[in-house]
Amino acid sequence: MAEAKGGGEVAIVGVTKRFGPTVAVESLDLVVPHGSYCCLLGPSGCGKTTILRMIAGHETPTSGDIRIGGTSVLGLPQVQRGTAMMFQSYALFPHRSVLDNVAFALKMRGAGTAERHAKARELLAKVQLDKFADRLPAQLSGGQQQRVALARALITNPRVLLLDEPLSALDEYLRLRMRGELRRVQKELGITFIHVTHTQLEAIAVADTVVVMAQGHIEQAASARDIYVAPRNAYVARFIGGQNVLGGAVESVLDGTAAVTADNGSRFAFQVGDGRPPRGARLYGSIRRDRIAIEKLLPGAKPPSGLNTVVGEVHTIENQGSYVKVTLDLAGETEEFVANVADDKFFANALEIGDRVVARWSASDVKLLDAGPLAHDPAAAGAAMAGGR
Amino acid sequence: MRSADGSRPWTFYFFAGLFTLFVLFLYGPMTVIYILSFQGPQGGMTFPMNGFSFEWFDSLFEQKRVGDIAGSFVRSIELAVVVAVITVVLSVLAGLAFRRRFRGSAFAFYLAIASLIMPGLFVGLGIALTFQMIGWETSWYSSGLGAQLTWTLPFGLLIMFAVLGRFDRSYEEAATDLGATSWQRVREVTLPILLPGIIGVALFGFTLSYDELARTALAAGAKNTLPLEIVAMTTTITSPALYAVGAVTTAVSFVVIITALGSIALVQRRRAQKIGGVE
Repeated sequence: MAEAKGGGEVAIVGVTKRFGPTVAVESLDLVVPHGSYCCLLGPSGCGKTTILRMIAGHETPTSGDIRIGGTSVLGLPQVQRGTAMMFQSYALFPHRSVLDNVAFALKMRGAGTAERHAKARELLAKVQLDKFADRLPAQLSGGQQQRVALARALITNPRVLLLDEPLSALDEYLRLRMRGELRRVQKELGITFIHVTHTQLEAIAVADTVVVMAQGHIEQAASARDIYVAPRNAYVARFIGGQNVLGGAVESVLDGTAAVTADNGSRFAFQVGDGRPPRGARLYGSIRRDRIAIEKLLPGAKPPSGLNTVVGEVHTIENQGSYVKVTLDLAGETEEFVANVADDKFFANALEIGDRVVARWSASDVKLLDAGPLAHDPAAAGAAMAGGR
Repeated sequence: MRSADGSRPWTFYFFAGLFTLFVLFLYGPMTVIYILSFQGPQGGMTFPMNGFSFEWFDSLFEQKRVGDIAGSFVRSIELAVVVAVITVVLSVLAGLAFRRRFRGSAFAFYLAIASLIMPGLFVGLGIALTFQMIGWETSWYSSGLGAQLTWTLPFGLLIMFAVLGRFDRSYEEAATDLGATSWQRVREVTLPILLPGIIGVALFGFTLSYDELARTALAAGAKNTLPLEIVAMTTTITSPALYAVGAVTTAVSFVVIITALGSIALVQRRRAQKIGGVE
């Protein structure tokens, strides 16, 4: 379709989707600007795939509106929406050659054989698969199949490309390569990409905007950078990872700094600015794992008791190459506490599992979080992350 | 699995022996029948072979001597083809329809499957009686056809369920996404992907009809199908012609099965042959 390249803004307006008694998406609003790369990120069952399928027209919202390029597309067939979808399983037709798969949309529109094959070959050349045009999909590797699926979706010149977990069927090496490739293609075409994933790093790596979802709601929609360094609430901080979530009751507030006591007695300082949280209110903050300094506590030494200090026992040590991930067990605390220590620092004075250590950080590195509906439940995001692996 | 000294456990010999007995039981008698069907003109129904001839095969096509073998054979083939076609059309359509849970779908399913467990002889009897009550004449192509469909349709439906259970709906969504109308989607995507399974349904419909006896027995009317003719023969004829009938009908079944499997293989090879056809 000779669709104009502009007008790829996708607006989801107050959309609710119910499947029988189950609410998959609840009064959700989201605007994805034209030509941007947006990732919908969340654990399985959070409604992200349902949103994608509603934009594509494979599901109909129970209420609300979906607009593409400013006009409502509810009830329109796929072709008139100007969307194209890449399926998780790729859904390449097993009985058709790669060339005929890519040319399928043109055949459905009544294009002649020569014309549609020429266009399909052009697209296959773009994804470096022109040599495989006459093969069957089953004779290609996973990465090649994925590129065929991409070429097939792009042949209609869509305004919006919808990608449902496009990388989940690939091995680690290909996944990293293909996500860079997707980003490059998106920049080159300048069309809107909406990409559903449950992998945090994948979303952060490719997207302009990351939309973190939980249970049919948006928890935060922001740039990849902001999602990572400034998560809005405890759920996002835990789900994205790279942060420790601290929580406790306000003890006193002085000069914009609140002293907070956790349930296990640890004490933190949160900068609250002009805020005046009442005594006893629960506050949550996040501290990046790489902003934490840890130091072995000598046997018999008295543990320090200052603000922004916790004492714990080393639970696991994972070498990640450029840094070492040290997980601590804090007494009386169920939430995971992790310090990412630069490799040179770690190996200068290596720790062992079971060592008692002190972890410290600076109050200015702590970001105050909105409590959010799931703040009290570290397991919610923890389980979600485990499911995402 | 072998033990350390390389000997097999006794269970190996036990089950190997059991399997050998099974194979002998299955193929031994049939092999005897095929050999005896080449009995010489003066030979009897048991060993020893008294010469070798095609005498008994020839006799099948002379109506006077052994009954209407040729006629019943043609009727059975025609009936089996019609049954196979109707079974394929209805099972495919029903299978596709059952993917959507409609109101009463479970009830409709059990209603269709129930005829598998009803005693075949009585299904045939019931159909014959109903025809009589209405005042229609029973015949192999009307009441006989209906009786056989009560047997092949539920089978066809069950096979389609198995075939569709492995069919990924996203193929159809992808077709819709790429602009296919619902008819284009069925013709270009759904049916071609299901084709091997559909050939399987046709094969089942054909062979189930070709040797169906219980349901057809009372519903076939005046003219016999091949199995009915053979049953009649076993009571009246005492010559190796009976064995010749067995050999010929087995050969037909084999031809049908090999044709069906061959066409499945051909479909798959055609698809595979597109490799490297053009550089």
